[in-house]
Amino acid sequence: MDITSNPSSESQIFDSLRLELRRGCLIVAVLAQLRVEHYGYTLRKALADQGLAIEESTLYPLLRRLETQGLLTSQWREEDKRNKRFYKLSSEGELILTQLLAEWNSINDSVNNILQNSVLQTPSQR
Amino acid sequence: MNPTNPTIDLLERYLQAIGQSLPAATREDVLNELRANLTAQIDDRAEELGRPLTEPELAAILKAHGRPEIVATRYLPQRSLIGPTIFPFYLLTMRRVLPFVVAIYFIANFVKIAATQHGLSSVAGGLVDSAFGIIPVLFVWLGVMTILFAILERTYDKFGKEWCLDEWNPAKLPPVKPQGDKKQRSLANRIADLAFHCLWMAYIIEVPRHPYLLFGPGASFIARLQIGWAPVWHTFYVALWFLLLIQLGIKIANLFPAIGRFSTPLDLVSKWFGIVVAGWLASAGTYIVATGPGADLHKLAVVNHWMGISFKLVVAFMILDLGMEAWKYVRPRLPTARLAF
Repeated sequence: MDITSNPSSESQIFDSLRLELRRGCLIVAVLAQLRVEHYGYTLRKALADQGLAIEESTLYPLLRRLETQGLLTSQWREEDKRNKRFYKLSSEGELILTQLLAEWNSINDSVNNILQNSVLQTPSQR
Repeated sequence: MNPTNPTIDLLERYLQAIGQSLPAATREDVLNELRANLTAQIDDRAEELGRPLTEPELAAILKAHGRPEIVATRYLPQRSLIGPTIFPFYLLTMRRVLPFVVAIYFIANFVKIAATQHGLSSVAGGLVDSAFGIIPVLFVWLGVMTILFAILERTYDKFGKEWCLDEWNPAKLPPVKPQGDKKQRSLANRIADLAFHCLWMAYIIEVPRHPYLLFGPGASFIARLQIGWAPVWHTFYVALWFLLLIQLGIKIANLFPAIGRFSTPLDLVSKWFGIVVAGWLASAGTYIVATGPGADLHKLAVVNHWMGISFKLVVAFMILDLGMEAWKYVRPRLPTARLAF
């Protein structure tokens, strides 16, 4: 099937691939942002302010999952007369984040190299 | 808590709806956290607007947060009846076992019909019942297989390493199949096929006049038993001739490559006609009759009974063969599912 002739199909494929691409990046971003303590709502705002908008229904359960995996610690604390659950990167989370960042940088470098090489090769192939 | 403010009431109703799909152990904790986050968001929005939120504005925030059942699902561990590790084995097993289930079902049913049903209408009724009867059988089989694989999925984490699913030897892979649906038969092969069919037709013409072609030296012994063919064979003989003529046409058509591509559908049609003819013969009941007073009628009845059962079994195998041939023909033409990312 020729996807270029079907804009909705093309858009669906892009959305699906974008979701795949973002999934891993979001975890890295959340872990990195939680080097500073946040509760759910302020974390979401902080990520959005830096251009990484993320749905509440994705972020809040993600925080709990990362905590279950031992990458985050949390505690209930009162702020502005309201109880809130604050999350922070654990020491194990810091270790994992370092490894993930190294992997992310390596992938980034590789993709950049591939892109540069493909740009150089394209004119000769035509 | 007894909320009087309509916006707080709406928030609590939303949280209650989420809570209904959460496990009791974590419900309160999750709801408290969600309440804190949503309240902070509501406060922020109210601060931006410089006034408390109206009910529709709060409803918009909750709607953006997500449908309660879906929000709750995201707090639950990811669940699947059969996960991606086991699923390929599930699918492979289903595909491999399905033909055997169908074959065993039909053979068992045809044996039952052959042994218990007599007459064209009762045999036909039995066949129709069998065709519809396979539907619940397949559902039960599908259910049982799915339950078995769901159990394997649940126990995979514990015992999965012992099953060695990842261990395989490339050297044990089956050899590469020839490309294309079917290798084209050579012209010499097709001519020989036509020639043998003509010889077979000549043999069929001569059998009624020369019974020894069918029974050999036993023909004279049978003549002394004072038995003969029942009238059903005369009609069968005409139908058989009609079938042989259809097959002759197919074999002639096979000589021409342009028509050759229809050979399989034509073969299937001729096999279907063969089943109709054999089915009619199987339902006749009387195949040999007495031609003189010396014939043993009791033995004749027993022979007729077993001949009837034999013909019914032949029909069963012919239907099975037709089903398999039709499946082989249709299968490569079925649309294949697109690979998902």
